[in-house]
Amino acid sequence: MLWSLGGVPIGAAVLLYLGGARLDRNAVTAAAALAVTAALGLAALALAGGWGAASYRWSDALVLTLAPSHAAAAFTLAVPLIALPIAVYAGFHELPPGAAGRSGARLMALIVAFVGAMQLLVLADDLLTLLIAWELIGACSWALIGYRWGEAEVTREALTAFLTTRCGDLGLYVAAAAVFAGSGGFSYADLAALDGPLLDVAVAGIVLAAAAKSAQLPFSAWLFAAMAGPVPVSALLHAATLVAAGLYLLVRLQPILDGVAWFAPLVIAIGLATALAGALTAICQGHAKKLLAASTSSQYGLMWLAVGVGFPAVALVHFVAHAFMKAGLFLSAGLAARESGGHELAGMRLGRRLPGVGATTLVSSLALAGMIPLGSAWSKEQIASAAGQQALWLALTVALAGGLSALYATRFQRLAYGRTDRLPASTPPSRGEIAALRSLAAGTLLLSVLWWPPARQAVAGWLATRWPPSHTWLLLVSLALVLAGIGAGWWLTRPGRRVEPASAGQAIVAEWFGLSALLERVAVAVAALARRLARFDDAGVDAGLHATARVADGLARFNARRGEAFAEGLPDSLSRLADWGGAWARRAQSGQTHHYYSTIVIGVVLILSLLVIGVLL
Amino acid sequence: MILSIALAVPLLGALALAGYPRWSAVQARRIAVGAAGVSLAALIVAWLGFDPRGAQFQHVVELPWVPSLGVAYRLGVDGIALAVATMSALLFTAAAIYPVDTRGEPRSYYAWLLFMQGVSLGVFLTLDLLLFYVFFDLSLVGMFFLIGRWGHGQPQLSALKFFLYTFAGSLLLLLAIIGLYLSLEPHSFDMRVLIEQQPLAGGGLYAGLVFLALMLGLAIKTPLVPLHTWLPQAHVDAPGPVSAILAGVLLKMGVYGMIRLPLSMMAETFARYAPWVGALALLAIVYGALVALGQGNLKRRIAYTSVNHMGYGVLGIAVAASALGDPAARQLALTGASLQMVVHGLITGALFLISGSLWQRTGDYELAHYGGLAHQAPLLTGFTVLAAFASLGMPGLAGFVAEFQVFAGAFAVYPWLAVPALAGILITAALFLDMLRRLFFGHLPASLATFSDLARAEWLVLGVLSLGIVTIGVYPSFVLTLLESASSALVGGR
Repeated sequence: MLWSLGGVPIGAAVLLYLGGARLDRNAVTAAAALAVTAALGLAALALAGGWGAASYRWSDALVLTLAPSHAAAAFTLAVPLIALPIAVYAGFHELPPGAAGRSGARLMALIVAFVGAMQLLVLADDLLTLLIAWELIGACSWALIGYRWGEAEVTREALTAFLTTRCGDLGLYVAAAAVFAGSGGFSYADLAALDGPLLDVAVAGIVLAAAAKSAQLPFSAWLFAAMAGPVPVSALLHAATLVAAGLYLLVRLQPILDGVAWFAPLVIAIGLATALAGALTAICQGHAKKLLAASTSSQYGLMWLAVGVGFPAVALVHFVAHAFMKAGLFLSAGLAARESGGHELAGMRLGRRLPGVGATTLVSSLALAGMIPLGSAWSKEQIASAAGQQALWLALTVALAGGLSALYATRFQRLAYGRTDRLPASTPPSRGEIAALRSLAAGTLLLSVLWWPPARQAVAGWLATRWPPSHTWLLLVSLALVLAGIGAGWWLTRPGRRVEPASAGQAIVAEWFGLSALLERVAVAVAALARRLARFDDAGVDAGLHATARVADGLARFNARRGEAFAEGLPDSLSRLADWGGAWARRAQSGQTHHYYSTIVIGVVLILSLLVIGVLL
Repeated sequence: MILSIALAVPLLGALALAGYPRWSAVQARRIAVGAAGVSLAALIVAWLGFDPRGAQFQHVVELPWVPSLGVAYRLGVDGIALAVATMSALLFTAAAIYPVDTRGEPRSYYAWLLFMQGVSLGVFLTLDLLLFYVFFDLSLVGMFFLIGRWGHGQPQLSALKFFLYTFAGSLLLLLAIIGLYLSLEPHSFDMRVLIEQQPLAGGGLYAGLVFLALMLGLAIKTPLVPLHTWLPQAHVDAPGPVSAILAGVLLKMGVYGMIRLPLSMMAETFARYAPWVGALALLAIVYGALVALGQGNLKRRIAYTSVNHMGYGVLGIAVAASALGDPAARQLALTGASLQMVVHGLITGALFLISGSLWQRTGDYELAHYGGLAHQAPLLTGFTVLAAFASLGMPGLAGFVAEFQVFAGAFAVYPWLAVPALAGILITAALFLDMLRRLFFGHLPASLATFSDLARAEWLVLGVLSLGIVTIGVYPSFVLTLLESASSALVGGR
């Protein structure tokens, strides 16, 4: 039964891909929305009906299993819920009016398939199933990022994103193999039973895979490459699917992973570093989508930290809050980019042209800033409190990261929707786009309920967890930092100040402290090595063969001349020798008696002397 | 009996095509497809009649031939041989259907193709060591003429290089086979006797030399780095369907030979050298992938990925042969290696057929001259994307199931070989996505404005191969059951 959660959307995606090209835009959009809604309905059914584990046997060693869990329940609901408005928006924003065409059908089918693969990923109960789903969402992301394949740059960026995340996928291969080596199976239960160095290897592999997907340091730069995809794709990747997969894995397996002593410190360190570095990158970025992308890394860094300090449920709540606001922000950025003709924040300030969009986006921006009373402010507060359980400075650093979020959120909002005296909008957003944007903002507003104690106790009960104790002083410090961040953001975006990085240093920070360039350089180096090896293979390895052939050829020629002459000469000389001997012998037959007699005498003397020598010796 | 039909029908078809001069091109092709199809059907019947829990070798036929030498007409299959033979027959049928320029000599082209099918199946189906060698060598003859007569570029040179290089390997194999034969008392070429008696189990110089000759001979055919340089040139100059046969079937003879001869008959000696064989396989995996990435020629690129993929196969075999490690892990690796043979045949077969289609349309393999075909030829793009993703090991498609098993099994036995081998997975991803990008995405050059999409015969064939790729990727148990019956006998039965 659980298989239907992934199977139905994937099957629907295949149908949509094959049959969608001839349908018109509205029909394709409706079909995609229906498929995602079906996924959502199935997830709710599974939860309400308490659907049990399901397995599918490949062979004795390879058995794929799905099983429900608390984290999976939250994700299976959140993923289609977020994907639904994104799919509607995609239909109206990307597809031309009239027939959807092949590429339109492909886009919608891939979005639906992505949701299905993600559902499989979160339900997986063993590392093999996880790996399968993990790679499937990677492939979907490649196809989605490369959606506009006609531009050469786009497919190159898709390649970069795919390879970087697949680099992390290798960690999952290692982890799965380590679990198999230790237990003969691949299930999470086998992983939990593991100990010794194999557990270390497995945990290291899982953390590597999660870091690459979650765009944590040092893999963060692929998110910028992923920006080559259309806006709804970015929204989907950042809010509900690809990036979320890494976090999900940590949340799901945290009790097991924590069995390794270095797990918590490592995850805290990665999360904290990414949270701060991502925030600085976002503050320096002048590209709307890249600013949001850097903020995604930063926010996921905070979630990592929550997992590291032992509160995966807190990370889960922040994930949901972040999903709503980030999806809304990306969709809004798409409208702004269409209006201004590009993704550069410098050319926007569309407050007068898109007043409604600006106002709706303000909700999401405030959520990103962590402003009370929105839900994300509460979850961020919980992360700080959880960090405070470990050390005071950790809590304060989380609060600082929150302040930086407020800064870049303000920067985004004011640069995109600040007011200037430009003309009113020429092409107002379609109803579908507006509806998608509004429903995401409504979700963000609804999450404010988390500030209400009974509600959050209900959530805690549902997730079978407890919240860390919060402190009023920490809340006040956070709030002060958020306000300071908003103020700084306001000041940084005052009219007349340049938006692009002002100095070379800022430009480097804006590109992930040079990580993007490093990634590029690694790719170039590998390509150069490959070309050199290819030349070596022709000139070096194959040269051995050619040399052998030449030696053989030379030998053949040598034989043809000298060998043949020798072989020919030997019998020739022998026959000549025999000839000569014959001639000589013939001369002895002279017919003259005295010749014969003297020969006989010589012979007798010779025999006698031989006999004498024999006697004497 | 059923195996004899599979073996004889293509050979008879070849004889008929060669002997009867009045058939037209269409008729010749029909006869070839028919004969290949009958052979395939016979193997499918054999598959359905195969009992995975039964004896190791089934459908056995034995007729005396030269009793004084211990040579007999012996046929029989285990799960691995049956799966590889069936895949080969499918690929031959596909190659016969696939349109190709026969240069006005359709009868002889299809006759040689059927001849190749007969002798190739012979390699997989025979249980007699001498027959194995005879078929192994005859396959070179068929391929020599197919490349030399219907190739392009410098076909004569490539065919000659292919023949001489692989023939050198065959000679080593012959020496080793004679060595094995002589070690048995009374002398016999019966594989089952050799497997049962393990005549060279004592070790020593003699066993080592026989093993070395066997492995060298088979490594040339596989091919393992650095014995692989005959491969790219032969591929580039061969017509598409012949390339598909070369990569899909002929390379399997090397890997299959390693399972059937050294692994089965010299388990103890193989165990001693297994880490070295594994290290060579790792070299093939990483080096093959990197060199493939460095190629600007479509066919050379695909050809080098074969070196990489066969490396996984050999790694799996080396792991299975190892004296260390858990039998379950070694069996997993061997199952993976045998599955790798089947799926590589389908995937690379599809890729080479596709490159044949490109050649038929443009006469060019340079990736740099292509671009933007996705709009022009959506079917071609779709099938290529599927085959490329299968080849780079995407789950849901066949390649993943094989490579994952090899890797998981190898890690449990030789983690120091398995982890670096993962680099191959990353590099193949890079090289295939780069290939797709250069062929299908970006701008369409003006010279390709009239490029036509796949014809029906083409997409039907690719559709069937793709169906096989997806089926094995999603529902591999039907073939895994078959392969596991053989691999458990090979690994557990010592």
